[in-house]
Amino acid sequence: MIEVDGLTKHYRTRVAVDDVGFTVHPGRVTGFLGPNGSGKTTTMRCVLGLTRPTSGTTTVLGVPYRDLDVPMRRVGALVDPRARHPGRTAHAHLTALAQSNRLGAYRVDDVVDLVGLGAVAHERVRGFSLGMAQRLGIAAALLGDPEVLLLDEPVNGLDPEGIRWVRELLRDLAAEGRTVLVSSHLMSEMEDTADHLVVLGRGRLLADLPMADLLGRHASVRVRSPQLTRLGTALRRAGAAVSPEADGALRVEGLDPAAVGDVAFAAGVPVHELSPVVASLEAAYLELTGDDVEYRAGMA
Amino acid sequence: MSGVLRSEWTKLRMLRSTWWCSAVYVLVVGAFGWLAAATTPSAPTADSAVGVALIGFAFGQVVLVVLGVLAVTGDLGGPMALASLAAVPRRTRLLAVKTAVVTVWAALLTALLAAACVLAARTLVAVPGGVPVTDPVVLRAAGLQVAGAALVTVLAAGLGAVLRSTAGAVGLGLALVFVGPPALALAGGELASRLSQALPALRVGEDAFLAVPTSWPVGLAVTVAWAVVAWALGAGLLERHDV
Repeated sequence: MIEVDGLTKHYRTRVAVDDVGFTVHPGRVTGFLGPNGSGKTTTMRCVLGLTRPTSGTTTVLGVPYRDLDVPMRRVGALVDPRARHPGRTAHAHLTALAQSNRLGAYRVDDVVDLVGLGAVAHERVRGFSLGMAQRLGIAAALLGDPEVLLLDEPVNGLDPEGIRWVRELLRDLAAEGRTVLVSSHLMSEMEDTADHLVVLGRGRLLADLPMADLLGRHASVRVRSPQLTRLGTALRRAGAAVSPEADGALRVEGLDPAAVGDVAFAAGVPVHELSPVVASLEAAYLELTGDDVEYRAGMA
Repeated sequence: MSGVLRSEWTKLRMLRSTWWCSAVYVLVVGAFGWLAAATTPSAPTADSAVGVALIGFAFGQVVLVVLGVLAVTGDLGGPMALASLAAVPRRTRLLAVKTAVVTVWAALLTALLAAACVLAARTLVAVPGGVPVTDPVVLRAAGLQVAGAALVTVLAAGLGAVLRSTAGAVGLGLALVFVGPPALALAGGELASRLSQALPALRVGEDAFLAVPTSWPVGLAVTVAWAVVAWALGAGLLERHDV
């Protein structure tokens, strides 16, 4: 469980996070989305006690992170794949982290094998690619077998196989009842991973909702009829928002396909096509974050 | 605490720079000391003979500035700090253990080197009555050398925490201990010589290296003050700053 309440962070000339509050629950993958610079990283660093909020509070498992004595046993974090000393080997890096939290040396070997770095564990991390560095960061996050995981852009720089591996890993970890918060600026990465979404834009909370709701919210029905005007009037009377499509069909929002069919039948209008349209998440996400940008530009 | 201690020792030990610094320190102090003792046929007293053999510390301790700075900036000066501080959120404790580990290592090396220097003075320099290793004067010179080296390392670690930049902290450290005191001594004048005495000059046995001389209790107290203030400032900034 991660709780963020009224979190605000000002940098000298910029508001990075503006009164953001949400709760991340265990047992599911929570996707933390927002365009670049929307405040995701700042929020995660505040939760981890790395950045001091201007106001507001964050807790992990009910306590502020900095009050945890050996945090890695409770909370695992990937903050930045560059968070390593280039002159140390992967094995030495993980060993030092494990020792600082009194974790057994066997955990280092476990996570090295888990993330697939076995062959390069004793090489200096200076020469690691971004993908290898991400795997090393994920290994560090998993060292303490934690019940809470925060991963900032974990698939950046990974190849398709690596992306799929991370996706399955996150799903498995959530299925074991852990709390998983994973950030990304790409909706497509979240589509098959996250159960729940927290969306930021320009430092503000734009949405905190189950994935299915975001889809549902942007679902519509496409309907064709030779008597479009009569059908449109009947649908509007039934409470739907109706707009014409370019190809002469109607786009109906606010009613499900069965209800649209019933309205048409009651109005005595023939229907030539009736189909549900599921918005792609990418489109739904762009609409959500795009609105915020327009709103802000309008205000300025 | 013991976990953090082991972790910090691993961090220090698993870097090549630690071993390079240590090797250069041993080489510079050992070579200069042996050379100085070998080219000094005789000395009037035991402590002057030991003082000659310790001369290598004047240059060798420069390496301790680098070692102390690197121990801190290598871990807290770049993105690595994110991992280190997420693992150990109690920042002052982390810095304290980190400083302790590198300082103990520097003190250990210095003790071994000081013993070797005393041995060189004893075997290579002719002194009436010899150089008895249990002589309080000899023990004091060696002990002061270890204390001076440890304090320089603490000061360097503190500067590393204040600036969190390797180049900046090494530069400032060398200016304070190695360049400033002799330069001010050369400049002459009341103010300059006072300043020279107020800087944490590198010490060779009981004396300040090329700086305006101070008695060893004063010199030690000045260096202690600098080390404590720099370290406390570093810890305070580390606690307050965002990573």
